[in-house]
Amino acid sequence: MERAARRNRARRHNKDQRMNAETAIAYRPPTDRTAWLGKDPIPAKAYHDPAYFELERQAIFMRTWLQIGHVCELSEPGSFIRRDLEFAEASILIVRGKDETIRAFHNVCTHRGTQLTGESEGRVNGFICPYHMWNFGLDGQLRSAPDFANFFTSKEDCALRQVAVDTCGGLIFINLARQPAQNLKEFLGEYLVDQLEQTPCARATQFSEYTYNLDANWKLDYDNFQESYHLKFIHSRSGAASFTAENPFGYPEDYGFYGPHRTQTFWPGFDPNAATAFQTLVFGKASQFAAEKGLLPHPTNRQYYALFPNFFLFGSPTQHFSHTVYPLSARRSRGVIRLYWVGEAQSASELMAREYAFVVARDIHAEDVNVIRAGQRGLNSGALEHIHFQAMEGLCRHLYVQSNEMVEKYKREQAAQELEA
Amino acid sequence: MSAPKASGSETLAPETLPAGFETLEPFVDRWAATTCAARSERRSQSTAEERSTFFDAAAPLLDPALAYLDTRPLPELTPADKRLLNLMLSLGHVQMAVEVHREMEPEHAAARASMEITRSVTDLA
Repeated sequence: MERAARRNRARRHNKDQRMNAETAIAYRPPTDRTAWLGKDPIPAKAYHDPAYFELERQAIFMRTWLQIGHVCELSEPGSFIRRDLEFAEASILIVRGKDETIRAFHNVCTHRGTQLTGESEGRVNGFICPYHMWNFGLDGQLRSAPDFANFFTSKEDCALRQVAVDTCGGLIFINLARQPAQNLKEFLGEYLVDQLEQTPCARATQFSEYTYNLDANWKLDYDNFQESYHLKFIHSRSGAASFTAENPFGYPEDYGFYGPHRTQTFWPGFDPNAATAFQTLVFGKASQFAAEKGLLPHPTNRQYYALFPNFFLFGSPTQHFSHTVYPLSARRSRGVIRLYWVGEAQSASELMAREYAFVVARDIHAEDVNVIRAGQRGLNSGALEHIHFQAMEGLCRHLYVQSNEMVEKYKREQAAQELEA
Repeated sequence: MSAPKASGSETLAPETLPAGFETLEPFVDRWAATTCAARSERRSQSTAEERSTFFDAAAPLLDPALAYLDTRPLPELTPADKRLLNLMLSLGHVQMAVEVHREMEPEHAAARASMEITRSVTDLA
């Protein structure tokens, strides 16, 4: 091992000598950072089996903090967003109250269950059920209901069903558990809370967004965006600048693990000859605008924050973007990708920089969907008992290990409850 | 192949873009779309020849167009200015096809269709 490492270092050194001094940055893949996760092959059924997905749904998604929005969507009292979560068959309203507090409620009238609104966002004084006109305040309290004296309950007992909600770094999270085992800050941990609060996303005032539905398990979908191994093959042209003699796969320079969450630091080296004159011009403008806003350079640039289970935020140098993968079933998921912007564009050049960043991000993501789908089709056949992750796919392994630990914990809890009963 | 222009458009045509950018007039109908989603759609529905003709004509004017448009705040842009800006925003879409995906663009267009644009910050009022 040591001899191989020395040989690699020597080879890298020689390459450094050959390369242009401006672009050569020594690269050492952080394979040792993922060693603690083990080397075992991973059970394939975790990526296609409906019974396993049902366990994940209960063990993870029904009781973990989930990123669901951004505070810029709730800019003033009365602002609300509606988010439908298929895996829970739930529709959630997230509302900024007159007291500025953000609250979340089930979009369910407490009279007979009617969904209160089909609007996906808006600004309101309250919610009125379309069926019998029950009227709820922004704080979820039942304000009035026609002929309420004939009911056999109290208004206090008829408040909207509340859902746990909190924010960090501008991001809104909910937890569907009636009493979450941890609060959001405990769940994220001190380091990630501090990092998230620093990101440009925390200051964002608007975002661009695209979404996709994919016939793929949520982890298979999400994993594609946790590893750089595929970049060279799937993004050979769009990602050309990432592949250098020093780091031919465009691998990250570091990984970090924080409880169920994980981070990576992207390598700063790039091939300066890969950019065309058009790209140099537009990226140059994007960099200038980011620099003017104090976003470039920024300590969170090139950082990738994967928050368990299904969200990550990536610090691309000119704007941060997020990706959330919602599970729909064992073999289907939906992705939501957002590019976060600080302030409105003030000039034509700034609009151009934002549109082009959006086009590039969407084009690159579109390149991934066919291979992810093909992976799911292959797994659905049941042909494989196991799949394999290499050292530089350690984040994918970590997601499986963490998810499976929660599934096992849930199974133990269920078994204990059955014993008690 | 495009439909004949409505009568009178010949006289209007020279005024649809700011002075100095007249050479881009033939591209206004197809490429000066007003939303990001529409610009993406135009790109996906165009031929390789339409894209390369537009790119070759407009790319050299990107820097001068932005320099001109940047001389005034966005709310003060005239309809002609906005047309020019929308052309340049479209150029960003077309550039990816022409310079990056090249002959692979048709299959990229098919994959891109699954990425639905649900919010844009670059649609001019």
